[in-house]
Amino acid sequence: MQSDRLLLGVVIILTTLVASGGIMLWMRMPSTDTAPQPAREEQQPAHQQSLLDEPLLITLYYPHEGMLAEGSATVQRQPDTQSLARASLAALFADQRAAPEPVLRDIRLRELYLDNSGTAYIDLMPGAQKDVRASAREEQLAIYAMVNTLLQNFEEIKQVVLLLDGREAQTLAGHMDLSRTFTKRMDLVK
Amino acid sequence: MRTHLALIVLAALSLPAGAGAADKGLTVNSVRHASYAAFTRIVFEVEAAAPYVLIRSSDGRSLTVSSYTGPFVLKTPLPQVRDSVVLGLESRAEARRSVVVILLDGAAGEVKDFVLRGPDRIVIDIAKGTAPAPATTLDKPTVIVLDPGHGGKDTGIVTPRGQEKTLTLDLALAIRNLLQKDPHLKVVLTRDRDKALTLDERAAASNAAGARLFVSIHSATDAGLRVFIQDLLDEPGAQPTRPASGDFLGYEAGSEQQELLWGKQQAAHARESGALGRKLARQFSGQDGAEPVQAPLALLKAVDAAAVMIEAGVDKDGEPAAGAIALGIERYVKEN
Repeated sequence: MQSDRLLLGVVIILTTLVASGGIMLWMRMPSTDTAPQPAREEQQPAHQQSLLDEPLLITLYYPHEGMLAEGSATVQRQPDTQSLARASLAALFADQRAAPEPVLRDIRLRELYLDNSGTAYIDLMPGAQKDVRASAREEQLAIYAMVNTLLQNFEEIKQVVLLLDGREAQTLAGHMDLSRTFTKRMDLVK
Repeated sequence: MRTHLALIVLAALSLPAGAGAADKGLTVNSVRHASYAAFTRIVFEVEAAAPYVLIRSSDGRSLTVSSYTGPFVLKTPLPQVRDSVVLGLESRAEARRSVVVILLDGAAGEVKDFVLRGPDRIVIDIAKGTAPAPATTLDKPTVIVLDPGHGGKDTGIVTPRGQEKTLTLDLALAIRNLLQKDPHLKVVLTRDRDKALTLDERAAASNAAGARLFVSIHSATDAGLRVFIQDLLDEPGAQPTRPASGDFLGYEAGSEQQELLWGKQQAAHARESGALGRKLARQFSGQDGAEPVQAPLALLKAVDAAAVMIEAGVDKDGEPAAGAIALGIERYVKEN
């Protein structure tokens, strides 16, 4: 009689364990329901849009007292690196600390292209004043303000080529050789 | 290994990146080489400049390159090099330290090393021992070309002292007057009046004159005297000197070979230009550690001589500035 009770108890416990294990397994199984989940899908673009709306903080380099100074600016996030690099350079040209400086005040950003090898092509054009007049140092600092700003913010950009009106040019203001590619010069930053 | 330290060069670099990187040693991203008529160039492109040690063995048949402090890390295989000066490159471990050994031929001569920036590079030039000495003798004057910047419609910048084209011409004429007192110097001006010249015409005039020194003179709106030297890309193809025939390499190239070489002449004068720039920068500043500014200069790249560009600030005018520049030039000529 006592052994029957013991056997019954063991059976009840085992049954309980098997049943609870089955319930837990069922709960963990992925849903086979392939019906769209509109609520979740609608939230994702909204989240991405909010990310794009957030301004991005970038580092700017601008000529200041015979060297390059480092500052920050915010730009609108863009869907790709090329657009973001273009926006960053536009921010440099618009920045109150850079815009009045020689060379930068005399040229405009026409376009920026980025190729697969990591070369950014900065296409510039003269401003209202056709001639760009600057000393060699001013020309050097203006060029490396653009180059450093791009290479310091975008690791995808490895080097920079400068164009004038879509074409190769010898110099911007008569001194610096534009026939070469440029990489950043942090020794010019104070 | 029984090696005597015949030559030790310790380059304590003053680059901003170099100061912090010193303890981390040197990480070499790539090693390149180029064979020229008079020398072979080995270039170590490093992640960040830091002090290095260059040792030549007592028999002169090898050079050992290592980091002064910290490890010397090679992130690239060494290239196959074999020419009339260098027999090969080897990576070795000596006294628990990694080094690169440059095996030299018996014809290897003087070794020069220097640093270029952006990206940071250690450049080692090994001359051919049999290379002819520079043709500078007491009876043949040293030709110095002075190049007053801008001219004609190109006025340059406008400073409180006037137009740049006028200021540079005045300064060049004053320097010429001082240098001409030395009978061993012959001074040639690219222009002695208000005249427009292209950059290539200026370089060609210097090459045609057989210049040993080329000094381009410009003005600035800030104060002081600034000295620029060419920031060279260590690309192959640099050609050193004018042909033995005495012809110079003109920019209006008559052959395909000349077309390929135009604009690469300055690469063969990196050491001399650096020495001239250093001499002038220290002369102007009065500081022993003053260095010239490296910049990609469109004019200097085609100049087949030791070449610098000087930018004289608004406070530098007339005799004092001319005197300082002339003195720096004279000292360089006497010491080199």
